[in-house]
Amino acid sequence: MIQITIDGVSCTCKKGEKLLAVARRNNIFIPTLCHHDGLPGMGSCRLCVVEVTESGRTKVVVSCLYPVRGEIEVVTNSERILAHRKMILALLRKRAPKSDVIAHMCEAFGAPDLPVASFDGGKCILCGLCVRACDLIGAGSVATRTLLKKLAGQGCAYPVAGAGVIAMVSRGTTKTVSTPYDEPSEICIGCGGCANVCPTGEITVTETETGRTIWGKEFKFAFCKECGELLGTDKEVRYAAQRSGRDPDFLCPACRQKRSADAMAEPFGRR
Amino acid sequence: MTRTILVCCGTGCRANGGMDVSLALTAAVDAAAADANVCCVTETGCSGLCELGPLVRIMPDDIMYYRVRPSDAHDIIQKTVLESEPIERLLFKDSSGNHVLHQADNPFYGHQKKIALRNVGIIDSRSIDEYIAHGGYSALARALEMTSDEIIREVEESGIRGRGGAGFPTGRKWRSAAVLESSPKYVICNGDEGDPGAFMDGSIMDGDPHSVLEGMMIGALAIGAEEGFLYIRDEYIQAVKSMKKAIRAAEKRGLLGESILGTNRKLYFSVVRGGGAFVCGESTALMSSIEGNVGEPRAKYIHSVEKGLWGCPTVINNVETWANIPVIINGGGKKFAEIGTKDSTGTKVFALVGKVKYTGLVEVPMGITLRKLIFEIGGGIPNNRKFKAVQTGGPSGGCIPASLLDIPVDFDTLKEYGTMMGSGGMIVMDDHSCMVEFARYYVNFLCGESCGKCTPCREGLRHMRSILTNICNGYGREGDIELLEMIGSTMIDCSLCALGSSAPNPVLTTIRYFREEYEAHIREHRCPAGVCKALTAFSVNHAVCKGCMACTAVCPTRAIVQLNGGFPIITKSCNGCGSCRDVCRFNAIEAVKGGRV
Ligand code: SF4
Ligand code: SF4
Ligand code: SF4
Ligand code: SF4
Ligand code: FES
Ligand code: FES
Repeated sequence: MIQITIDGVSCTCKKGEKLLAVARRNNIFIPTLCHHDGLPGMGSCRLCVVEVTESGRTKVVVSCLYPVRGEIEVVTNSERILAHRKMILALLRKRAPKSDVIAHMCEAFGAPDLPVASFDGGKCILCGLCVRACDLIGAGSVATRTLLKKLAGQGCAYPVAGAGVIAMVSRGTTKTVSTPYDEPSEICIGCGGCANVCPTGEITVTETETGRTIWGKEFKFAFCKECGELLGTDKEVRYAAQRSGRDPDFLCPACRQKRSADAMAEPFGRR
Repeated sequence: MTRTILVCCGTGCRANGGMDVSLALTAAVDAAAADANVCCVTETGCSGLCELGPLVRIMPDDIMYYRVRPSDAHDIIQKTVLESEPIERLLFKDSSGNHVLHQADNPFYGHQKKIALRNVGIIDSRSIDEYIAHGGYSALARALEMTSDEIIREVEESGIRGRGGAGFPTGRKWRSAAVLESSPKYVICNGDEGDPGAFMDGSIMDGDPHSVLEGMMIGALAIGAEEGFLYIRDEYIQAVKSMKKAIRAAEKRGLLGESILGTNRKLYFSVVRGGGAFVCGESTALMSSIEGNVGEPRAKYIHSVEKGLWGCPTVINNVETWANIPVIINGGGKKFAEIGTKDSTGTKVFALVGKVKYTGLVEVPMGITLRKLIFEIGGGIPNNRKFKAVQTGGPSGGCIPASLLDIPVDFDTLKEYGTMMGSGGMIVMDDHSCMVEFARYYVNFLCGESCGKCTPCREGLRHMRSILTNICNGYGREGDIELLEMIGSTMIDCSLCALGSSAPNPVLTTIRYFREEYEAHIREHRCPAGVCKALTAFSVNHAVCKGCMACTAVCPTRAIVQLNGGFPIITKSCNGCGSCRDVCRFNAIEAVKGGRV
């Protein structure tokens, strides 16, 4: 256990724990944009910067990635930090002029309106969360792609289209998030995981009674064949089944449970 | 007497026909074979003074010839080799017009001290035998008899700091990797020199590849690594070839492979070709690239000595640092530490380029003043122009003005003045350089090289570029300078990697030292240096003009015409290139306020 102070508050933490987690546990607020508790950190937005003083030397670090390894003193709201946060938000407002999330944050933090031209973009701040979400839970994960490749040999329904479903495309000032060649992706399953984690709502998902459209592609919904409850997209269900090595049964969890209970009951003659 | 003719076939001289000279000399030797002394022609790596290449040096007489053509081969063999008679027309002429016979008497070479470049330009880089004959691999043999701790102690004592940019103490880096129990461990050589105008590391890999390998071998022994990678910039075809060949030769000699020199130590090296991105020179991006991922930097809170390549302890040093190691082991760390300054020991290789008479590759003791480097070694500014500034440390280095020419060149002093050692680029500018345009140029370059992962660098650079472009075009506004400073400060503190945190240097140093030049652009719509086309017009001062017509010859748009005995510039046709002003020997062409705005 290590004892550190954050804004004067003494906090206890484990070695290697991330500063942001320690701060949150102690009810100290640090703003974030590209951080998600369930996804690997990337440190791209830089909004969560704080000042760390260690053996007399002070440096600026991003709290979402900084592992606590010794006794340190942390300041989350010095003038220097607040000025940097304002600038970062001001820069992001120019990147994502259509994002109301960013606009609100700018207001809340008092970020200046920079007298420079806006990017003609939409809401995306290039935080990379969507890509990480897809890599982890969606069809973009490396493990899944390997599996799909194997399954493709066995006549899998989903052809494997090279890279991932979505990725950070190009580099530097022209970076964007997109599907390969900006075409609707072959392997996307329409799970919406990417859209769920997007902090700015850039990824549009439209849903009707019968289906969902995401990344320029339409997906049919699948319903439980017993009770008719919505299961997700058809591809999602098939994909989940394939990942666990079963045939898709198109049942909702409740009906599946019921069915296996029934199946088990039968041999015991309780029917 | 056995004579060796060293023909420089480094990149610069090759471009000037060094290979042809070498062929011609070989033919001339053959032709004269009957009565010739034993004489061999050796092709070497860059000898330094590329500006005056191809260079030929006859040893052991140490007669150095400059700008040699294939047609000179016959004379060189007949006169110099056979009759020991120097050929005046091929010698260097110093500032007072005297012919200089020996290399060391040429002021370009006189002030240098070669450690990393000890063999470059002297040996045939393709031959492991020549390297061994010049004392090569003796440090490895010595290191094999030392303990890891003893090796590291020498390196620590030498005080050597990483030559790649950050200047981190090499010994300390090795020590932290050596104490870790885990295995495997790796050593990496960073040969991804991506700075425009820099060719230090390329020249070492090309001209003395075994010195790099030997350094890496010693490093690997010290930290307990059995595998090493040389990450070489893809454009360096020659260096890639030369390093691969060197690795094969070392394997054949039992210096690499199953058992190093018959001991039970294993070591394997391989070459990885770079992904062609400037940001891959950043160590974490480089490792990510070796692993086969996109070359993007990652947060460095856990150092790569602990978790580097594939999450294993990794020591990464650049080419020049590795090349220094054998000298440290052979001569001892103490002796090395006597060179240079207290906190920046040893020497540093620079690529001296830009508006300086003798451009080329130089190696000088740390702590030398910029003035000595530029005016004594580099021969000063050509065409009697005035020195204006020097950029050190590559594209994201800052620039130092004339008033600071006497500061010593070492890691900490350069940093104090807003720039950096970087990997050793040094670009000299004369008074025909606009500092705002200079900043715009490098910010634009870095815009294309930023990986775009983090906000400050990706967005900050983009806005810096647009603000600077506006200023250069005459659309600058009050407050622009302050805005640049604010963006710069956030980039320095908050960027993820060193590319972003050093990228504002060209902007912030020019504001620091040449603020009035920014103000002239913004407030008076005037480019004091006469470079920004939108703000500049050219006119001929007829009181000074001698009518030599040099300007009319270079004008690409034929905007200068002879009219009534004078040479007026037709404003409508002039595209503002400034060539006429550069070519005029009488300074008769003046840049004045004008242009589009
Ligand atoms: S909807 Fe498509 S792109 Fe988004 S996470 Fe799911 S599989 Fe990936
Ligand atoms: S689309 Fe959303 S989640 Fe993806 S990078 Fe942009 S802002 Fe982040
Ligand atoms: S500082 Fe620039 S180059 Fe480095 S990670 Fe950030 S965007 Fe990429
Ligand atoms: S500035 Fe260039 S285009 Fe204009 S007159 Fe001179 S040489 Fe010609
Ligand atoms: S939340 Fe830490 S860098 Fe984005
Ligand atoms: S290449 Fe010959 S001197 Fe540099």
